Amino acid sequence: MSDHAKVIKKHHDHHAHAIAKPGKRLMHHVPLAFVLKKVLGHGGRNVNTALNLTSYIDFLLVTVIFLLMSFSAGGEITVDKSITLPNAENVEDVIEAPMVAVNGQSVMVDGTPAGNTRAIRDAGKVQKVDELFELLKRKKELWSSFHPDKAFPGVAILQVDVDVEALVVKSVFQTAAFAGYPNISFMVRKRAKAGGGEGG
Amino acid sequence: MGGVDVGGGGGGKRAVNAEINMIPFIDLLMVTIAFLLITAVWVTNSRMNANAQVPGPPNTEPTEVTTPEKILHLHIEEFEFKLVWQQGSTVVAEDKVPKQEQTDKEFVKFGDLAVKIAEQWQQHGGHQDPSDQKTDQCVVHADNKLPFRELVGVLDAIYDKKREQNQADGTIKNVPVFNMSFSIR
Repeated sequence: MSDHAKVIKKHHDHHAHAIAKPGKRLMHHVPLAFVLKKVLGHGGRNVNTALNLTSYIDFLLVTVIFLLMSFSAGGEITVDKSITLPNAENVEDVIEAPMVAVNGQSVMVDGTPAGNTRAIRDAGKVQKVDELFELLKRKKELWSSFHPDKAFPGVAILQVDVDVEALVVKSVFQTAAFAGYPNISFMVRKRAKAGGGEGG
Repeated sequence: MGGVDVGGGGGGKRAVNAEINMIPFIDLLMVTIAFLLITAVWVTNSRMNANAQVPGPPNTEPTEVTTPEKILHLHIEEFEFKLVWQQGSTVVAEDKVPKQEQTDKEFVKFGDLAVKIAEQWQQHGGHQDPSDQKTDQCVVHADNKLPFRELVGVLDAIYDKKREQNQADGTIKNVPVFNMSFSIR
């Protein structure tokens, strides 16, 4: 073949071009259909992916069990916002009884004003708080009229702020006792025991 | 998604692997969690008992003359606690505990006092038998200026010691060995 003929043949051979069209080239020569499919990208993975929900359901179940175990059907007992309750370890469950709230300014029975803390402090000695006495006495009479066959339990719960002086506490305590409530309970926040066990 | 794989399949029949729809189950769990979270009470309040020792109605029947019970008088002083066991007006025993409070923000604890009260009760307590339904008395003598947080710390120490007590239903319950009251001055 002459040199001229060689040049012409080279021009007609598409492999002879120096610049080729970009694209995938690897394994093009393998004469198998599934290989070609893979190479050209037509045999792609399914776009729908199923999430594994087992761990999510496990988490939800553990949360439900924890919340069910800590669930209390007793409901929340409202504590006056101006009162910071003290913490204690050796406590009992709260029972249904009249709530006497005592903060730095006032005394209240179930939200009704029943005396002035400052007046008790100024007196400087333990004394009967008249308004509180009347209110508690009325509550006792009301209870007895609704439950004529039962003995009056005489329980009242004091919600006392941590900074209130013992003089005020003793005055309220004594007044409640005079009004027919000798079994007084102090409301506190339960604190877990350091050792975790019961005393004694 | 949850499913049941029983193996096999193929052969032109319907697949025997069944998929359980977990969405209603997850919905139920979510609703339960939402309900429990909304109704949850995170701050648990409790109570500490006290008794004003008010005398009951007068008894018309002639009563036997009995010896008065021993009562623990707990005096809260500035730097110490004084524990005095009295039988009527007679002082049976006396002890002192230095006032060492372990304060942690709102929590006041008198650990040494609790230990000493427990020791004293073992020696002088009059109601130690499980069949005894009565409780020993502790009268707290506190200064009028004492803040309530310290008073509760002392009450906590008094109620720390517990004993077994037979209940009416046949069970045995752990109850505090003391019932407290205030000395009103």
